[in-house]
Amino acid sequence: MSVQELNTVFAKETFIGKRVTKPDAPDKATGRTVYINDMVVPRMLYGKILHSGRTHAKIVSVDTSAARALPGVHVVLTGEDIPELRFGPTRDNVPLKAGKVRCIRDEIAAVAAETEAIAEHAIELIKVEYEDLPAVFSPSEALREGAPVVHDDHPNNLSLHYEFSHGDVEAAERDSDIVVEHRFEVPYVTHCCMGPGCVIADFDTAGRLTIWSQTQYPYNFRMDLAPALGIHPGDIRVIQPPVGGAFGSKLDVYPFEPVCALLSRAAGRPVKLTFSREEEFINSPTRQPVEFRIRSGVNMDGALTFRRVDALLNNGAYTSWGPTTPVIQMRTFTGHFRVPAVEYHAQAVYTNSVYAGSFRGYGNVQATFVTASVMDMLAEEVGMDPIAFRLRNAQSSGEVTPQGSVLDDCRLAECIETAAEKTDFLRKHAEYAQARTRPGRIRRGIGIATSIHNAGGAKIHKSDGCGTILKLDDYARATLITGASEIGQGIDAVLTQIVMEELGIPKEDVTIVNNDTALGPWDVGVHASRTTFIAGNSALRAAKAARQQILNAAAKQSNVSASEMDLRAGHVVQADNGVAIVRLDRLLRQMHFAEEPELVMVSDYYEPNSVPEDRNHFGNLSAAWAHAAYVAEVEVDTETGEVRVLKMTAVQDVGRVINRLGIEGQIEGGISVSLGYALSEQLKMREGRVMNPSFRDYKVFTAPETPEIEIHFIESDCSEGPMGAKGIAELPAIVPAPAVANAVYNATGIRFFAPPLTPEKVARAIHEAGQPAAD
Amino acid sequence: MVIEYYAVPGSVAEAARLLCGGRATIVAGGTDLTPQTRSGAKTFAGTLVNIQRIPEMHGIACDGGRFRIGGLTTVTDILENATLAADVPVLVSAADHFASSQIRNAATLAGNLCNASPAGDMCIPLLLLDAEVELASWVGDEVTLRRLALAEFFTGPGKTQMRSDELLTAVEFDRPADEFRAIYLKSGPRPALEISTVSLGAAANVSGGSAHGTRIAIGAAAPTPLRARATEKLVEGRRLDAALIEQAARAAVDEVSPIDDVRASAWYRQHLTAVYTRRALNHVAGN
Amino acid sequence: MSPAIDIAFNLNGRTVQTRVAPAMTTLEMLRENFGLTGAKLACGEGECGACTVRIDGRTINSCLMFAADCDGREVQTIEGLASVGSLEVVQQAFVDFGAIQCGYCMPGMIMQARYIVDRHAGSGGELTRDDIARGLEGNVCRCSGYTKVVDAVAAVVLGEAG
Repeated sequence: MSVQELNTVFAKETFIGKRVTKPDAPDKATGRTVYINDMVVPRMLYGKILHSGRTHAKIVSVDTSAARALPGVHVVLTGEDIPELRFGPTRDNVPLKAGKVRCIRDEIAAVAAETEAIAEHAIELIKVEYEDLPAVFSPSEALREGAPVVHDDHPNNLSLHYEFSHGDVEAAERDSDIVVEHRFEVPYVTHCCMGPGCVIADFDTAGRLTIWSQTQYPYNFRMDLAPALGIHPGDIRVIQPPVGGAFGSKLDVYPFEPVCALLSRAAGRPVKLTFSREEEFINSPTRQPVEFRIRSGVNMDGALTFRRVDALLNNGAYTSWGPTTPVIQMRTFTGHFRVPAVEYHAQAVYTNSVYAGSFRGYGNVQATFVTASVMDMLAEEVGMDPIAFRLRNAQSSGEVTPQGSVLDDCRLAECIETAAEKTDFLRKHAEYAQARTRPGRIRRGIGIATSIHNAGGAKIHKSDGCGTILKLDDYARATLITGASEIGQGIDAVLTQIVMEELGIPKEDVTIVNNDTALGPWDVGVHASRTTFIAGNSALRAAKAARQQILNAAAKQSNVSASEMDLRAGHVVQADNGVAIVRLDRLLRQMHFAEEPELVMVSDYYEPNSVPEDRNHFGNLSAAWAHAAYVAEVEVDTETGEVRVLKMTAVQDVGRVINRLGIEGQIEGGISVSLGYALSEQLKMREGRVMNPSFRDYKVFTAPETPEIEIHFIESDCSEGPMGAKGIAELPAIVPAPAVANAVYNATGIRFFAPPLTPEKVARAIHEAGQPAAD
Repeated sequence: MVIEYYAVPGSVAEAARLLCGGRATIVAGGTDLTPQTRSGAKTFAGTLVNIQRIPEMHGIACDGGRFRIGGLTTVTDILENATLAADVPVLVSAADHFASSQIRNAATLAGNLCNASPAGDMCIPLLLLDAEVELASWVGDEVTLRRLALAEFFTGPGKTQMRSDELLTAVEFDRPADEFRAIYLKSGPRPALEISTVSLGAAANVSGGSAHGTRIAIGAAAPTPLRARATEKLVEGRRLDAALIEQAARAAVDEVSPIDDVRASAWYRQHLTAVYTRRALNHVAGN
Repeated sequence: MSPAIDIAFNLNGRTVQTRVAPAMTTLEMLRENFGLTGAKLACGEGECGACTVRIDGRTINSCLMFAADCDGREVQTIEGLASVGSLEVVQQAFVDFGAIQCGYCMPGMIMQARYIVDRHAGSGGELTRDDIARGLEGNVCRCSGYTKVVDAVAAVVLGEAG
């Protein structure tokens, strides 16, 4: 060791809260990243699926002879070729359908061929004879006596249902000064991942499956996929390559993946199956549409008295996660703002429509559109402004909601106050409301919305944990293997920062591995805004353990104790003055080649201290809760009905910012999705068919429509979170939409109960309201 | 149909000869042809003729007060042409509302007109300008040209007067007078990337407060882009005051026959027709 | 059988030759004949811009352009933007400003961003954020919300101006 080294001094540097660039960004910027959609595996065949395109019909016959005869076709499978292998949360789905079809997606046959073009041609050659059956598309129709039955084992078309109650809602209704009832209807929207659905499957000679999948939950995916193939989950290896987005669309098993595996098994070759964009629009699970009826009570002093919510869910033809969103919807209806008495009922009903899965926000998008709109309406009823009314009912730290959400770090009031102050809300709100009495073509409006969301995971499974394996090599390069998945959200950057912080090594010396179930430790999946919190905590504990091991070893060969040391810039240093003691890589080699050798390789499994709900939906489901307040400023053209969002102000309770670039990116991206929900996105269904399966007619937000965005973080150091951080990424996709709807009300005096607020919808409502003519 | 023969003619004559017999598909930028053939809406003929390498079909020229825009002129070429910006800004405005930068760079004027979408953005300003299309074909042993008024060119959604052996080589119109005022309006919160719910253009030579040579063209509100002739007649030579403009708005609504489709209802298209007629005429009148 | 068409063109600075089917798109040719998978198939109908490449200096949706028409042209893809071992200015800005999340749309977005900057260069005028956003209207992104993309491009414009 050189004398020069020993005299070097390293100041304490922290990377938490900084703008640390995403490790995989350079490769993505140069087009070097190989996404699953880009992958080619040797000897690979191409798979394609024949979808029924019918909503309800008996399959009379399927003639695959012409398809089989087409040169280049290796395998053709139909529902008759495989045993009935049921999968899905309620085991009501099968990979290939036999007997009858229940919605347009239904997978009748599949082909594996040498090129995608041959596979597509073969699909066209398959002749299916159907006998159409009467079909039903709306839940209320499907509930009627004599309605067509979608699944024989559910003769009344009833699927999942949820009930919760706390306090005496009837008594509260009687005692309330004001009781109002409203109905809302929220639509089918879809994720629009830029990377369309894609899967590659390959069986080895022992019959074990390797599946390259876009799945967001690789470990439990094995468990859910196995029954669809009739194999043991332990014989499935899931590899998740880089993906073009997920947003919750890949949290379940959907038929195209087991179909691909079945093709591969039959062909004895790897098979890759990709959706066209049109297939993606039609077949990707949607957000759950809901019809709400909500009765709310309030007293003239501004206190909420009760909420009673009845939710009717279109289950579609098969059950995925959409009909389970009441679990999270409930948390907002019962726990957002203090409501002494609450009742929630939800019923999912089978129809011949397409079916919903999970989508960023998971029920809270729907619930918050309702609650945030109702809060504004109730405020008006009691003559309070939207800010004062919300503050009147906001909880404080330490309160526990009727469902047992423990709000130990409740920043709701602070979010509301900050949002109001930063946007000059009250003055503008009053001014724009006043302006409604005067003629004018372009009207401005300002609106606020708030919500709560689980920020420390959500214990909806037996474990909500995540594992980490961390090792350092002889060159002080760290590899962190996490069970979490990088799906674009930036967990690679966050985990890198945690390792940098604890071990004092530069970003370039950290590799995150996060995508292979044969290598990695278990994680329940990327959902519920849990990854920074839970994978972060696991990584942090592993990094601390590694740090301790290193400092202990350094202390043995020094006259400084471990507790007086720190790791900085690739060196072990004295914590008080930063003087270098030994280079880290040198120390690691010394440890490795010592008489009693040791490698630094540690593991950790972190389980958050949340509890699953009991049968009555009671329990502290998440290890932390977070709030947000968003303010939207809009301009409405009262003639064309066009709504332009001028500015979004986001105030989020985040605990602690770990990666400033990443957290801002999550907020800005969530806003874009939520504004689409508010103003332009809708899968237009006609009798169970998707009428707009293309970007041409399904309008996502584009760059010129994007408003100015101002972000404020409330950082209060969540005690449970890694470095104090809370999970945040769903709230930005939840809260902006009702803020926009409330702003449109401020501008026009017209309330909308069914997003999206398209130009036609707004123009028609203004026209029917007989607004004063333009200047 | 399988493509059996691919040709890249270097002149209008060569192209016209290839189109003889009417068994050819013409490709330029591909911005309409590719999605239509991939979806099955159109099938290829036996011969694919790539016309992108015909120099005489490029170019924007103004000769003796008459503009000639070659069929292969892209929407970007129109958007960035300084002479058009000075003399015919309404055409440049429509180009600015066209799809996206990438589409504009590839989409040709001929392609847009021959695609004959009822919503076709470039058609509207050209109708205001009383444009003519030039069609070339091979007759006997030479190129024959014929000209048609654009207003007569469209016969239905996706249908034109152009024969299967013809090529749209150029669009021509007279430079408008100094008193010519025109505007192009297109619906939707997006500036461009949008199939119009309704698009509308209005133009007139305004002098002494009255409008002469009024033209009103409406897109996406009828089977073809149309000239609202009854409305034009109503306002011709008169002062464009608020009362007349209101009448004109109602008249325009009577002239369109919009449908309900996945993008909008007939009601909304009629509503926008009225709104845009008002706005456009107010602009033209200088209000 | 469809005829195979032999074409030759300049691809990312190199002269190349290949054979394409008549109805093949430029995107298919780039990905299948040359293994250049940067440009992505995300919609196949010119609505999302993920396939954006540059032909004779202009950006186009390669999913719409007939491959055969590349003959004799200059084609630039995302892989040709930077020299080996470094990032080009726009690419670096996208990294530095955190514009990239899942990244699937980014090759197309970056190609379009470079085009916007090049079109503006030397024009002497101002390129506002609104101008940049308009220039990107044909590029759909579902992750970023576009704000940091515009930030990155604005920074490049400022940097290249000064």
